Order: sequence, then structure tokens, then C-alpha cells
Amino acid sequence: MVDVLMAILVAGFTSGALYALATVGLSLVWGSMGMLNMAHAAMLTLGGYVAFTVITSLGLPIALGFAGAIIAGAVAGAILYFAIVRNLLKNDKSTFEANVMIATVGIGIALENAILLTYGGQPLKQPVSIVGTFRLGPLTLPWQNLMIIAVVVVMMVVVSLALGRTRMGRAIRATAQNRDAAQLMGVAVNRVYLQVLMLSGALAGICGVMVSSMTQLSPPLGNDPMLKAFIMCVVAGLGNLPGAVAAALGLALLESFVQYALGARWGFPSLLFVVIAVLIWRPSGLFGRAEIRRM
Amino acid sequence: MGAAAKPPVLQLDRIVSGYDGLDVLKGISLTVHAGEFVTVVGPNGHGKSTLLKTISGLVPLRGGQISIDGQRLSGKPHETAMLGVAHVPQGDMLFAQMSVLENLLMGAYLAPDKAGITRRLDEVYALLPKLADRRGQIASSLSGGERRMVGIGRGLMMGGRILLIDEPSLGLAPLIIDQVYGVISELSKAGRTILLVEENPARVEDLADRLHLLDDGAIVWSGKPAELMARDELLATYLGG
Repeated sequence: MVDVLMAILVAGFTSGALYALATVGLSLVWGSMGMLNMAHAAMLTLGGYVAFTVITSLGLPIALGFAGAIIAGAVAGAILYFAIVRNLLKNDKSTFEANVMIATVGIGIALENAILLTYGGQPLKQPVSIVGTFRLGPLTLPWQNLMIIAVVVVMMVVVSLALGRTRMGRAIRATAQNRDAAQLMGVAVNRVYLQVLMLSGALAGICGVMVSSMTQLSPPLGNDPMLKAFIMCVVAGLGNLPGAVAAALGLALLESFVQYALGARWGFPSLLFVVIAVLIWRPSGLFGRAEIRRM
Repeated sequence: MGAAAKPPVLQLDRIVSGYDGLDVLKGISLTVHAGEFVTVVGPNGHGKSTLLKTISGLVPLRGGQISIDGQRLSGKPHETAMLGVAHVPQGDMLFAQMSVLENLLMGAYLAPDKAGITRRLDEVYALLPKLADRRGQIASSLSGGERRMVGIGRGLMMGGRILLIDEPSLGLAPLIIDQVYGVISELSKAGRTILLVEENPARVEDLADRLHLLDDGAIVWSGKPAELMARDELLATYLGG
């Protein structure tokens, strides 16, 4: 029984770590820009394929595959900013949220199809994987899961330090909390938006490598983790980063337990049940703050 | 040398601005000289806050021009801040989830060196000692008066050429208002250049060097505060007595 419980916990923490990485990227963009980036899934997929190309086609080390995924995600974020976001921000601010959501849906579809045209639709094996297990007392744990959890923890620490300890991080947090006041302090908010989209893209890129290392590479790779990341963002409260991590871990564990107890097909519905319940009883999310909008 | 004989820091030349299709400011011209304390008074909804927001770039300029030390402003708020405009907005606009210290440090966002930031922080704590006691407290948990002090402290941390202060008495208890104006008075005596907007001219009667009366987006009278306070017909017409 303990073995089963630990297996569920390991699976839950691994999924939770991956969801957290996807959720933090989404939440960061929403929190600081009020933008739901619907192209996040495609950016995640892009990262997975770039790492595949760097390692398999170019024959370079795995570390460079990670670096390639991070760079590709960040560049995708920058292109998204310069091609779409910057122009939409010049228009009426009240229409930005809806316009940017629709625009990024289109960008996401275009990017996913570009990947389909380039690599084909057949699943590919991501070379970033560590085979084998190790024993911890009575437990047998896969190295692959441990690597994913370790990489995600490192990324979270890096993001946390970047947001908490650097000038750029202070500017991002200030812009998220009060855009006008940040501008009055001398923060160039457009530069902050660019930085946020690049950071979020980099996180999506590395998340794509991790997710594909657990499954396989295919053009719709990012859709499932992004859908779940959206659920976790809503449960946590949009824009709340620590809440997003907590919600990702909590819901991933719940999903693992439900899948074990009731069958795999009940995992996703259990998440939907939670998000519906949260929207009914606490619409601003478990860790979110209520927002009043005067119409 | 009187303040008015010193070089102008801020010059507004027939500025027009507003929201959507409505012009709120309708051709305002005024000058603030180095070390001067200028106040704009007027009833609610006649453009006082819009005036400061237009100077700092939060509301776009539609006509006329604004210059700091002779340099025309671009209209971008962060570039205006770089030229030394420190705006203490109405309602404080603090970073609610940051501590008092982090809010103050955001004021020094453009400061180039750490030593300068530490020096400014020491000056702010000397002027507003309560902020030193509250440095670790999250801004959203402060009282209204404390928030106003943080707003002023954050403006001082910017170390700008001119301090724009928007209705510092708004929503505060009389005792707290006295404390806030005490701090502003200290700043003025220390030689800070200040442009303040206020609904109640009596608050600035003993502080301001010059006063402009704003009505429906236009300056309708300018002079010394004491002169306005002696003009009952102006007070009755524009400020309800």
C-alpha cells in the first residue's frame, strides 16, 4: 500500500511540477499585462521541438537542447510582443484583453501548423530522458521524474530570485500591481511587457522539453498542459504566482489520486469539478483578490 | 533672489488635455520656478488632477506644450520621471502588495547608485520617522494617513526637480491632514520646488508662494494666497464660500 501511495505521490509531484511551470508562465503574463496568452501552448511545443532538433539533428549535447528551447521560447515571446501586443496596446485599452486573446489564438494555431508542416504529424521521441530507477529505502523512483522535479525547482528558484531580487523583477511586480504608478516611478512598462513575454516564453520552452520527455513530441503537445494550466490559474486566482504553484501541485496530486481510485478517465473531470466549485464559491480564485470594475 | 526670479523649472504653455472626446483642460499656462511652492485650487471635477496627470504623462497632451528646465516633454510618463518630475498622485497609488521599504525603493527606481539611494532613504526616514518603523509592513495594511506619507516619501525618493502633489488632504482626518501639511511645509522650507493641487485654499494660505484658481479647465485668477482669501466674491463664486 505504501508503495502505491508513494507511486501516486511521485506521479502527482512530477505532473504538478510540469503544470506549475506552465501555470507560472501564464500567470506571470496575466498578472502583469492582463493578457491571456492563448499561444502559450504552441510556445511550449516549440521548445520541445527545438530541443529535439538541437540534440538529434545537430547532434549537440542535451544542455544545449535546453538552452535552445529557452532561447526559442524567449524569442517567440519577443516576436509576439513586437508583432501583436505592442500594436494592440496602442489601441483602446478597454479592448486589449479580448483582442489579444483572439490574436494569440490565431498565433497559436499558425505556430502549431508551422510545426506540423516542418516536422510532420508523426510522434517523435524526445531524446531528453534518463532511463532507470533508484531506490530510496523501500521505494523505487524513476530518475526521469526526479530530473523533471529538479529542473522545475531550479527554474522556480531562478524565477523567484529574478522577480524578488532584481531591478527587472521589481519593475515587473510594480507594473503588475499598479501600472500607472510604475510609470510615474520611471518604469518603461512596454519594456516590462517585452521582458515578461520573453520570460514566460522561456518557461514555456523548457516546460515543452520536460513534457515531451515524459510523453512524445507531436504538434498538439502543449494543448493538454496549457488547458490544465488555465484551470490551475483560475483555481489559484489569475496573476497569483505562489498560488499558481500551490494550485498546480495540489490539483496534480488530486488528479493522480482520482486516476488511481476511479480510473484514468476521471482525472480531468475531477479538475473541472474543482474549477467549477471554485468559480461558484470563490470567483477570484483560492488565493486571488476580488476585483471591482465600474462599467 | 525671490523664487519667481529664479529660473523656471516647469512651464505649461496653453495646454489642452482630457478624456475621450472631452477637453478637461482648456489652454492652461503657468510657470513654477526653482524653490517655489505653487498651488492650484478649484472645485472637484474641474481638472486639478488632470492637470498633474497631464504634466506627468498619464493623460495625453492634446495641445500646447510642457517643458522641464526648458526641455519639452515627450508625453511618456517614464521619460517625464527621468527628467525629474515626481508625482504624488491622488489616492496614493501605492504598490499594495509591496512593503513600505519596497515602495520607497521603487521611488528610487531611476537612481543610478546605491549610495545615493541609501542617502535618500535616510532623508525620508528623518522627515517621516514613522515610515522607518513601518518599513517591513505591506502597504495595503497601512492606514490612510500612513499611505499618504508613503506616497510622499516615495515621491521624495525620486529626488526629482519638481514634486507634484495631488490633494494630500483628501479623505484624511483633520489631525492627519495637519501632519501631512507639516511635512509638505518642511519640504518647501528645505527649498523643494512644489506644485500642489488642493480644493481648500485655506490649507495652503500660509504655505504657497503663488496660487492659481482653476475653474472648468481654465485658470480664472492668479495671485498670492492671502489675496484670494480676502476676495470673498471669488471664494463664493468658485469655491462655494
